[in-house]
Amino acid sequence: MARRAVVVALLLPLLLALAGPAAHAQTPKRGGVLRIAEREAPGLDPHLSISFLTHSYVSLAYSQLVRFPNGPEQKHPADFSIVPDLAEKWSVSKDGKVYTFTLRKGVHFHNKPPVNGRELVAEDVKYSLERFMAKSGFKERFEPVQAIEAVDKHTVRITLKEPYAPFLNHLANPSFCAILPREAEDKFKDFNHPDAVIGTGPFVLKSYDKGVRVVFERNPGYFMKGLPYLDGVVIEITPDAAARVSLLRAGKVELPHIWGWLSPDEAKSIQKTNPELAVVRHNVIGQGFIYMRTDQPPFNDIRVRRAISLAIDRKAWNEALLFNEGCIEPGPIPCAMKEWKLEAAKMDPAKAKYLTGFDPAEAKKLLAEAGQKNLTTPLYHWPGYVVPWRSYYELAADNLGKVGITVELKPEEYGKYISTTALGKYEKMAMGPSTPFTEVDDFLFGRFYPELPTNQSRVADAELTKMLVAQRREMDPRKRKQIVDDIQRYLADKAYYVYVPTWPQYVSHPPSVKGFQHHDGYGLGMRLAYTWLDR
Amino acid sequence: MKPYVLRRLALAVPTLFLVSVLVFALMRLMPGDVATRMVEGHAYAPTLAALRHDLGLDRPVHVQYLDWIGGIVLRGDFGRSYWTRQPILEEFVRRFPVTLELALLTIVVSVVIGVTVGIVAAVRQDTAADYVGRVLSILALSIPYFGLAVVVVVLPSIYFKWTPVYTYVAFTVDPLQNLKIMLVPALVFGVTRAGPIMRIMRSALLDVLRQEYIRTAWSKGLSERTIVLRHALKNALIPVISLIGLQMPLYIGGSVIIESIFRLPGVGLFFFEALGKLDYPVVQSVNLIIAAMVVGLNLAIDLSYAFLDPRIRYR
Repeated sequence: MARRAVVVALLLPLLLALAGPAAHAQTPKRGGVLRIAEREAPGLDPHLSISFLTHSYVSLAYSQLVRFPNGPEQKHPADFSIVPDLAEKWSVSKDGKVYTFTLRKGVHFHNKPPVNGRELVAEDVKYSLERFMAKSGFKERFEPVQAIEAVDKHTVRITLKEPYAPFLNHLANPSFCAILPREAEDKFKDFNHPDAVIGTGPFVLKSYDKGVRVVFERNPGYFMKGLPYLDGVVIEITPDAAARVSLLRAGKVELPHIWGWLSPDEAKSIQKTNPELAVVRHNVIGQGFIYMRTDQPPFNDIRVRRAISLAIDRKAWNEALLFNEGCIEPGPIPCAMKEWKLEAAKMDPAKAKYLTGFDPAEAKKLLAEAGQKNLTTPLYHWPGYVVPWRSYYELAADNLGKVGITVELKPEEYGKYISTTALGKYEKMAMGPSTPFTEVDDFLFGRFYPELPTNQSRVADAELTKMLVAQRREMDPRKRKQIVDDIQRYLADKAYYVYVPTWPQYVSHPPSVKGFQHHDGYGLGMRLAYTWLDR
Repeated sequence: MKPYVLRRLALAVPTLFLVSVLVFALMRLMPGDVATRMVEGHAYAPTLAALRHDLGLDRPVHVQYLDWIGGIVLRGDFGRSYWTRQPILEEFVRRFPVTLELALLTIVVSVVIGVTVGIVAAVRQDTAADYVGRVLSILALSIPYFGLAVVVVVLPSIYFKWTPVYTYVAFTVDPLQNLKIMLVPALVFGVTRAGPIMRIMRSALLDVLRQEYIRTAWSKGLSERTIVLRHALKNALIPVISLIGLQMPLYIGGSVIIESIFRLPGVGLFFFEALGKLDYPVVQSVNLIIAAMVVGLNLAIDLSYAFLDPRIRYR
């Protein structure tokens, strides 16, 4: 292992020197159609559906006020800095409560009736954000918003009830804030009809044959000059996962998933059978954990929770299931969120061991002290999550069994899991992945603030709560980062959630697909705007 | 004949009523809640209550049932999907030709294979041909069609960089391309369904071949070909036709999986996706329509016996 690392370290600069200039020397070519195999989205209206499929589909056609960086703009897939989209600039008042956005001039909607390519104005932004606040399943994101005003044709002012640091991140999230034209809703009642998909984004929805394919064409009037490079994008609707991968292998599509994703097993198999295909590994903002009713015995006892964390052999999981490519310290902030993450190495080791350590002997001792030598608990879960989840539940039961905790695996149907257990309605113990959020607040405030349904461990910790609210209200990024670090230090030895290793994500496509950079921000449109085909 | 048909149609009413109650109840017995599912745990209580009200889920269950069944009986309105808010009947009508074509091609494949092998096995009883045919039929019976479908999709893509999965084209647009797309799913499904047909065909034909009128035909000096195909086959086909009728729900049921693997936009896929999304009205209405079709088809098959066997008369 060590020898291989040395070889890689020596070869790496050489490889970079060879590959680097060549890769950069290539200038993007115009033209070509990119084909994607994916399931059908449940709808097209970005406010009436919360499915990532809906948001990815229509992100090709819509723009937002601000967005996350993509393609050459991004530093890594979880780079959630804010860049201009329809707003060319913005300012925030000193008290952090008033945001003023100046819109780009001369941006036109797609040339489709009833909008017919008219110019986008501030009223459209007001209409869209207010519609989001009225209709979306995500609307609580805008809970602090007091008023949205169109000051003049190209200026939008948003007033908040209180300073709210996550606000711009939410505005940049393609899941929420597409800017839509009112006329389309007037004509089609909502934005589910394919003809109602009229935006200002890089691609125009040309046709939608239900259950078969969705065809997008390049928007010749897109406001970012020269983009997109592709002539079009076709989504070939393919419900079956095995069929999607087969289509990639047979060269009938360029991406086997809306974001090009493959499971670790699929990726390893593709590397063997189709060495001509590119397979790129990314650390994504995934996270998984065991959650417990910390408001009730026995898990209100910190010794029991620490014992559970110490019983989990994260390194062994990483080796056995993730080809040693996972991340073994994924909580409370996911590994990929580099800007916010405080590594365990930078914490007090005596505390950090309860976050990432493995020590069955101490676990047994702690359980004995807590009088829980023969603890029995159910572990509620939904077995259908993608690889490696099914093995995760079994490994957790096995690891806990080795320190004397008897775990009864309790699989649940998805509808039941997502509507009860995942919302904190369960007994004793459960396990599952977290939604990959784009804002650090969701991993802290969302998980630990008392009474929230996303606070699955039902944590109610007064000292922590104060810090959670403080980081939300701190508008200075550097000071906010300090509070977030303090929260991570504070949480290290509490074991409210017991985090398990994060799996990497693999993106695969033919080598002719260039410039397709994975980003964790749900939007696909801008990723594809920078993509080109080298044929 | 007419009173018989009317009586059968009257009997269909309680059958369909029971189907409607059963499928309505089963959907509601399924764990999970469609409103929470639609917002995937992102919504807070007020949003959920509004959504439930919007979908009419806050009304008593019997009111929901009467509203649904009343719409169908009184206005021919099969309701709208919870997710897409589109009329279900419209979607069903649009997708049905795909499923029908798949079912018909599957029947053709399974009948051609099953009947041919069945005849050969019966006429050449206890020869090598018979044994091979019987082994093949057992094999076809024991391979699950969904497993075979995945193998057919995956293996050629690995070894030959080819896959039988295409973008669907309607028959009316390009008949040749359409048949090319339908061929592999119909073959996969048809081969696995040919097993039972072959077995029934063989035993029915063996039975008929031992009857006296066949012996009479032999004694008249007719050729084997005429005896088997003209005299024996028609009578031996009756149980085969009943079997195809009985298998009809299987053809539709199987389309659920076949369509999702081969990406055919038919009723099966519509049903499959609705089931996963707890889209109650879609599952209920599609089920009811298919049940009505099966009832109608069984009647048609019973009536076809009269054509095959002139001794059968319905009163």
